[in-house]
Amino acid sequence: MKAGVILGTLVLVALIFLYEWPRINRTQKKEKVVFIVLLSLGTILAIMLILNPDLPGPTQMIEYIYKPLGRMLEK
Amino acid sequence: MIEKGKISAMQMGIMMYPTITATAILLVPAITARYAKQDMWLSPFWASLIGFLTVYIAVQLHHLYPQKTLIEYSEDILGKFLGKAVGFIFLFFYLHANGIIIREYGEFVVGNFLSHTPLVVVMGSMILVCSFAVRSGVEVIGRLAEVIVPVVIILILANIILLIPDMKVENMFPIMEKGIMPSLMGAIIPQGWFTEFLLIAFLLPYVDDRNKGKKWGMISVTAVMLTLSLINIAVLFVLGGITSRFLYPAFSAVRYVSIADFLEHIEAIVMALWVAGVFVKIAVFYYALVLGTAQWLNLSDYRPITFPIGFLLLLFAVWSAPNLIELIHFLGSSSPFYRISIQTGIPLILLFIAKWRRKTNNQKLTQQG
Amino acid sequence: MSIVQKAAKILFVSVHLILLSGCWDRTEVNDLALIVGLGIDQKKDGKIMLTAELIVPQAVGGGGQMMGGGGGSGVSGQTVVRSGTGTTVADAISNLQEKLSRRVFWGHTKVVVFGEKAAKAGIRQHLDFLSRNPQIRLRSNVLVSKGTAKSVLELLPPIEQSSAEVLRELSESQLLLRVTIKEAMQMLSSDADVAALPMVKILPPEKGKKDLQTIAFIQRTAIFKKDKMIGDIDDKLTRGVLWLRNEIKRANVTVTLKGEKGNITATLIRAHTEFIPKYEKGKWKMIVKVTAEDDIILNGTKLDLLNPKYTKMIEKELENETNKRIRAALKTVQKEMKADIFDFADIFHRKYPREWNQVKNRWEQIFPTVEVIVETKAYVRRPGVNTAPQGLPEQEVKQ
Repeated sequence: MKAGVILGTLVLVALIFLYEWPRINRTQKKEKVVFIVLLSLGTILAIMLILNPDLPGPTQMIEYIYKPLGRMLEK
Repeated sequence: MIEKGKISAMQMGIMMYPTITATAILLVPAITARYAKQDMWLSPFWASLIGFLTVYIAVQLHHLYPQKTLIEYSEDILGKFLGKAVGFIFLFFYLHANGIIIREYGEFVVGNFLSHTPLVVVMGSMILVCSFAVRSGVEVIGRLAEVIVPVVIILILANIILLIPDMKVENMFPIMEKGIMPSLMGAIIPQGWFTEFLLIAFLLPYVDDRNKGKKWGMISVTAVMLTLSLINIAVLFVLGGITSRFLYPAFSAVRYVSIADFLEHIEAIVMALWVAGVFVKIAVFYYALVLGTAQWLNLSDYRPITFPIGFLLLLFAVWSAPNLIELIHFLGSSSPFYRISIQTGIPLILLFIAKWRRKTNNQKLTQQG
Repeated sequence: MSIVQKAAKILFVSVHLILLSGCWDRTEVNDLALIVGLGIDQKKDGKIMLTAELIVPQAVGGGGQMMGGGGGSGVSGQTVVRSGTGTTVADAISNLQEKLSRRVFWGHTKVVVFGEKAAKAGIRQHLDFLSRNPQIRLRSNVLVSKGTAKSVLELLPPIEQSSAEVLRELSESQLLLRVTIKEAMQMLSSDADVAALPMVKILPPEKGKKDLQTIAFIQRTAIFKKDKMIGDIDDKLTRGVLWLRNEIKRANVTVTLKGEKGNITATLIRAHTEFIPKYEKGKWKMIVKVTAEDDIILNGTKLDLLNPKYTKMIEKELENETNKRIRAALKTVQKEMKADIFDFADIFHRKYPREWNQVKNRWEQIFPTVEVIVETKAYVRRPGVNTAPQGLPEQEVKQ
């Protein structure tokens, strides 16, 4: 099951890559690097989330920081 | 400049309208009602103050750095290292905030209509549509907004008119039973939405008639304020004391419409047009994020990173909350402070430092001269 | 353009084709059974029995023509009534679904009927289920039935397509009480914490008809405290209650004039009730100002109604009659049942928030002691389209 979802994700990533890569100019070295880095970041995150859906997310982090203020509104 | 398109100040104002209202009419009325009870219609007025302040800050900063966006001038103001750090905070914020917006949209659609469709598919298809709009640039989003927003406004008004037969004005009384505090408490959540007006800092550099930027920003805030207040009044009149028991009170009220036994079940139309409004909202956030990232990394074009960031947005939307309950809890507790500190607090500090720098620079110049 | 690029484009488009059709929530009409009426009963062992009146789309589709051609022969029998049992309503539904070949669809639920036993056991959890479900409409009418809800839904009405439709039409006519799910929830979460729901009774079938060929009609009003039914009042008292809730839409009032033989009946055109709460020296007082505009529809006396003197007299009598009805309702509901279904609590709360908050917790004891002053004002606007009484020799008419 999980392998299937990961495979699907990889297909999606491949599609994005195939769509965008030929459109970037050859001279745009930096853009190519950023594109690859962002896409791989996404892929890694996606696989992590698929393998462990309960991974603490950004919201928990923000909530941890703002907890003292947020408690004011809790009833 | 990366973005070569131009929009008018009016287009900017129109773009901002659904950017605030689209999701503010979902969960917010219920949260407001929980604190403000029958004074919930007052809350948007208090909340809008922060909207006016945010527009003012953004416009002032824009006057100091006319050609630049938020990400670019934070570097000018704070220096390379700190500027990049603040830029990163903004980018992370917009990534996270847009993730939450997409999640709200997905939860609403799945919770009310497509209960068996996986959330990821609903959110993913929306992001895909938005990414094409974002790739086409600010001009296209502006024109889309110009087409969509009038319809959305007419729709909101039409629905309120259709609900009139079911309204009970008594539900409003006693006004301010426990003083002004409940309505102020109820304003804390919507004011988080009003801080989103900071997004005009990403749009102002591309506005043609820049002297009108402030005017249209303020008009937009006023329009949003009136809309939210009107919706709150309508919901309060129809549902009364049980408003806070509903997840999406405005939607529950629309479902209640029935005129002469045949004009009913209209929520499908409402839904279709509302989705168009959300589309503008997500596109504007998405655009700011993509443009900001490109500027942060000094890229020559933002289009190549649109899809990778869209993919990240989808992941953040999934990642931002394990379930709807956690999401609402976050929106009802920490999120308003989170939003206000980043979208109004940091820009305010930036503005002070920028003003102060100008002053000392001018002094130096006069001393040298 | 390279082959890879072409392939990517084609793949890109085909992915959309799959995604955009929305396979997961595809609903075909011929896979659905539309629930139009819902009955909730409590069985002796405490289990919930849920009865659903279903419309099968196909049968109704052809029904229109059949009705036209067959002279109404095909009208009944288009709906199916099935029941399921379980510990909660939701449980009962899955049990019901087992017995159905089609998936139930809630979007067209018109009425929800509570059996008397279920009503007495408490309806809160059922209402919660109904409002939590995204398909059910808050506008569905809520009723209580004398006897079981199943017996009401099983009927095969001669005029309408389903008994749910009968009940909805009767509710919407607003002759007696009309309550939607939303209103029921509002009443139960209001300050007073009581509710009034219309109550239906089965009309005995005409001679020669089968037992089921009849309808249920709204005849009484069930009174709830918290979420449990504590009693019911008849249609006469209900009309009095409607005046006090400012919900009266239609009424015929028959009066007799002093010293005159025969009756005069007036029909209500417009009515309005205004509530003026008063709080004086620790005493709660409510002034109820009723204004009614009537037309005369029947004149059984010998009076020529064009004479303004008689109009005044009729108005006076109408006021007395209305007063009497309201008083009777107050006596039963306020003094005996002690249930604030007129929502006086909210009215006091709005006018005197501070004072009211002090007595909020013992409102149930205070409510019966509230002094209610009824001031009625009736206006006769028109004598119908006749002047002097019809069918009477000229000389007998009293000018």
